[in-house]
Amino acid sequence: MSATYALKRLGMALPTLLLVALAVFALLRLVPGDPAQLMLGDAADAAQLEALRESMGLNHSLPVQFIRWLGAALQGDLGRSLANEQAVLPLIIERFQVTASIVLVAVALAAAIAVPLGTIAAWKQNSSLDLAVVSGATLLLSIPSFWLGLLLLLLFGLKLGWVPVVGYVGFGEDPWAALLYIALPVVTLTLIETGVLTRMARSAAIDVLRLEYVAHARSKGLRESTVLRRHVLPNAFGPTLTLLGIVLGNLLGGIAVIETVFTIPGLGRLMVDGIYARDYPVVQGTMLFVAAIYVLVNLLVDLLYPFFDPRVAAE
Amino acid sequence: MKIHSFLAGFAAAALSILPAAAQAPLRASLNSDIRSTQPGGNRDFNTDTVMMHVVEGLVALNERAAPVPMLAEKVDVSPDGLTYSFTLRQGVTFHNGAPLTSAEVLWSLRRYMDPATQWRCLPDLNGRSGLAKITDMAAPDARSVTITLEKPAALFLSTIARPDCGSTGILHPSSVGADGAWVKPVGTGPYSLGEWRRGQYVELERFEGYASLPGERDGFAGGKRALMPRLRFVIIPDSSAAKAALLAGNVDVLTDVPSPELPDLRARRDVSVVAAPSMGVTALLLQTRDPLLKDERIRRALALSLDVPELVTGILGQDTQPNASPLPSASPYRSQAQAGRPARDIAAAKRLLAEAGYRGQTIRMITNRRYPNVYDSAVTAQAMAADAGIKIELEVMDWATQLDRYTRGDYQTMSFIYSPRLDPSLSYEMISGPKDTQPRKVWEDPQALALIQRSMSVTDQAERQAIFDELYRLFMAQVPMIILYNQPDYVAFRQNVRGVQPWSSGQTRLWNVSRD
Amino acid sequence: MRLRLNALIGGTLMALVLGTAITSYVWTPQNPLRIAMRARLNAPSAAHWLGTDEVGRDVVSRLMAGAGTSCLVAALTVLVAVALGSAIGLVAGFTRGWVDRMLMLVNDALLAFPGILLALGLLAVMGPSQWGIVAALGLAYTPTVARIVRGSVLSIREREFVEASVSIGNSAAYTMWRHVLPGTVSPLIVLATSLFGWAILAESALSFLGLGVPPPAPTWGNMLAAARPYLETAVWLSLAPGACIALTLLGVNLLGDALRDHLDPRSRPQ
Repeated sequence: MSATYALKRLGMALPTLLLVALAVFALLRLVPGDPAQLMLGDAADAAQLEALRESMGLNHSLPVQFIRWLGAALQGDLGRSLANEQAVLPLIIERFQVTASIVLVAVALAAAIAVPLGTIAAWKQNSSLDLAVVSGATLLLSIPSFWLGLLLLLLFGLKLGWVPVVGYVGFGEDPWAALLYIALPVVTLTLIETGVLTRMARSAAIDVLRLEYVAHARSKGLRESTVLRRHVLPNAFGPTLTLLGIVLGNLLGGIAVIETVFTIPGLGRLMVDGIYARDYPVVQGTMLFVAAIYVLVNLLVDLLYPFFDPRVAAE
Repeated sequence: MKIHSFLAGFAAAALSILPAAAQAPLRASLNSDIRSTQPGGNRDFNTDTVMMHVVEGLVALNERAAPVPMLAEKVDVSPDGLTYSFTLRQGVTFHNGAPLTSAEVLWSLRRYMDPATQWRCLPDLNGRSGLAKITDMAAPDARSVTITLEKPAALFLSTIARPDCGSTGILHPSSVGADGAWVKPVGTGPYSLGEWRRGQYVELERFEGYASLPGERDGFAGGKRALMPRLRFVIIPDSSAAKAALLAGNVDVLTDVPSPELPDLRARRDVSVVAAPSMGVTALLLQTRDPLLKDERIRRALALSLDVPELVTGILGQDTQPNASPLPSASPYRSQAQAGRPARDIAAAKRLLAEAGYRGQTIRMITNRRYPNVYDSAVTAQAMAADAGIKIELEVMDWATQLDRYTRGDYQTMSFIYSPRLDPSLSYEMISGPKDTQPRKVWEDPQALALIQRSMSVTDQAERQAIFDELYRLFMAQVPMIILYNQPDYVAFRQNVRGVQPWSSGQTRLWNVSRD
Repeated sequence: MRLRLNALIGGTLMALVLGTAITSYVWTPQNPLRIAMRARLNAPSAAHWLGTDEVGRDVVSRLMAGAGTSCLVAALTVLVAVALGSAIGLVAGFTRGWVDRMLMLVNDALLAFPGILLALGLLAVMGPSQWGIVAALGLAYTPTVARIVRGSVLSIREREFVEASVSIGNSAAYTMWRHVLPGTVSPLIVLATSLFGWAILAESALSFLGLGVPPPAPTWGNMLAAARPYLETAVWLSLAPGACIALTLLGVNLLGDALRDHLDPRSRPQ
């Protein structure tokens, strides 16, 4: 099933991407202010503006601009930044590596903590352990990420001086320094996402525990720990996987705030700076990229899901 | 024991790399990446700051923003004011080792005057903006270049010296490739362009063959010594992060210090903050075509309701002084006659409002968060005007949106900051003009416009002074805008940095700067 | 046991926040907009319990007023999202077919859309005001609501009483209103509670990026954003609004848990 199914799902995603592209384009042009004006600042006279707009290709009608951009984009060319003439696609990939290294590490860490913790809490439902886990998770979930980031920055960066407070170094250049630079953002994201994922893993595990085959396994006289390890933990992973997809998608969209707090040159900042600078190709490209990743992650989750479905595994 | 010896070894290893660490570049923060490496091309303030280390023009602005010889040894103007003869300095070489001759100068000038280069200052020199029109450029011999204008222009030299024009930096033709595409600036400055990691840093390297002018540093001219072998401009868009980086020692110099960070930075021993009033103007613009604000009495009432000295002290302490004149306080033409401003008078403001029939209508004021002092000025003005019964509502926009509204003249009032104008005529030209064709202009008074035109052609200093004093009188009577102060330029640096000095152009200079 | 504890703590927190929010419209200790440039960044004292901000305004008063603005914005956002989302979800789930597919296509596109661009665009169109934020966030959350409503409608419409209603000649609109909508209320209430929390969080995040409710009206988000430069020198400015947001979200989450347990018998503790 999966090859045709995957293709069909991919086909369904295309209109979504097209719609996103169109909406981003339209909304971006609706926002007042344009890059030519920003570049000329308070001294922009009409003739200069016109000349600059022409050199940027902004004087064509909007449909023409859109179709040109889309046509090039379909061939893998996302254009060049209006602000610094850099090619957009390599720029996005470069920034995405930064963001991904932080988000993936944080989500992996959070999942590694949250799934076992949530499963155990579900297993011991309504015990004081459960209460402690749920309360802790709810508390973490309630803290605004950027506030937590600021406080960590204040404590470990400024007061204790353990980590550098600004910037980023790639792993390729200096792995140890890179680790120090991404430590705080990763810790911040991990803490917040642990809260979300623990609660999700717990309720998924509760659902699994209620399934008949678990009762069956128990009735066969298997020890509780075996039931938990063999049946509950693997099966609670499916729903958590779905959530992981959503979390990843949301993180890509919401990472801008964390990147602002820690001044990381990631994808989120690229987009926000692009919006402020009215750097149309950069914003359009970034958005298309993020939407594509979002669609891809969800597709992947859907395709992987059957492998973790308890009803399948129970056969 | 083992651990101890390990630590000792580690310390020794750390010490052995210290000499290398001393050669680490001097790091200065920039709040945004440079736009390109083309002087006066695709540029912004930060691009200019970096480029002024790499390229030099025939003339450069001195500490008081007047043009003085740079690559030219001397400049002779013909009696009719039409022909400028530049004699080039001897012994100057480009970064690639080639000597500077009139051929490269002519090549550079022709390149700038080619519309395809998209030089920012082309309209000012081809007659489009009315400032000056170059009719001829020639190189009579290897050391001389002449430029001929259509009409005498008082602003010609200061225009080609402007940092936003890239100081009309003289480039070696190898700056562009065989296909005519830009490669990188091969100039004559004390530093040459090194690695540019977009979004992260721009590095400059000392030009060992630099031929310095004698004497002290003087604006963009004077003696320049590249004391540090390498300079690195680190891009940190977030001001809080930039401050934190300075405190943590991740950068040595903060080229742009937002005022909210000042008290904290000043309180620290390991950091110094220095300030100089810039030529940028912070003002409240009033739309004289607005149905409400076209009434001069309401504009005057608004001006009278503000306690500007209090506002300035509140926001900036003693770092700058209130200034009511469009001419910056650093300008040699801002005379005593332009020092006065009517004191706050709530009663008089209320009287004027009553006369004008103002009944508490909401006045919208646009401001932004990108420039904290501009924002603080709006918030403070709002509170002060409320005492006189003027109801102001703030609209906080992102800078690009505000600029759009400014360019279209689509506002009632806005709290705004103008970039520095380095000549008094330009300071007035910046705010005055016919709104029908240039909606961004705030003040359209025919008498004032005629005076401004005259100030651009008159070369006699006393006569020019009289014109500016008269303009000030008109300006204060009509209140098309309320000028608050000249934004101070701040530079903060770590204690071991020597030679940093802010000045009126606001551009940080890192030549003659060293680190212990 | 946990149910009641959740409800108790969550309810108390929310009552406190909403009480403060409502009170702030009639009374605050001092005028939250009153600027005193000579009393900038005063540390907490008897006159100002939580000190003053960067232009000398009383932080306690601003926190109270901020509760008012933040809650109003969040509540309106939820209203917009729930109204729009249920309408779309109902129609999509009930009609199915191509209408459903089209609506869900738009829905998915919106889900993949960044809130910040939506906010900037709408703020530009509507002028910077809290209404712009409400519209932007409301629209951003609409797809989530629509998805959930559509899901429950799809399951409800298979039930006998819906078929019965259609077979006795009731119009589709009547059937939707009378029989389908009520079935979606429980999940909607739970979702609306979460949305309220998200809206408060999102407003503060937008403010942090400089796009939130415009000053001088205080919200916790723009207070936190304004406090940022003073993280070291005047830490109370950052602590207080952040703590307010965290406590409100905690209240919302606990109350949401209690509601879910109460309304969804499946997850009720055995």
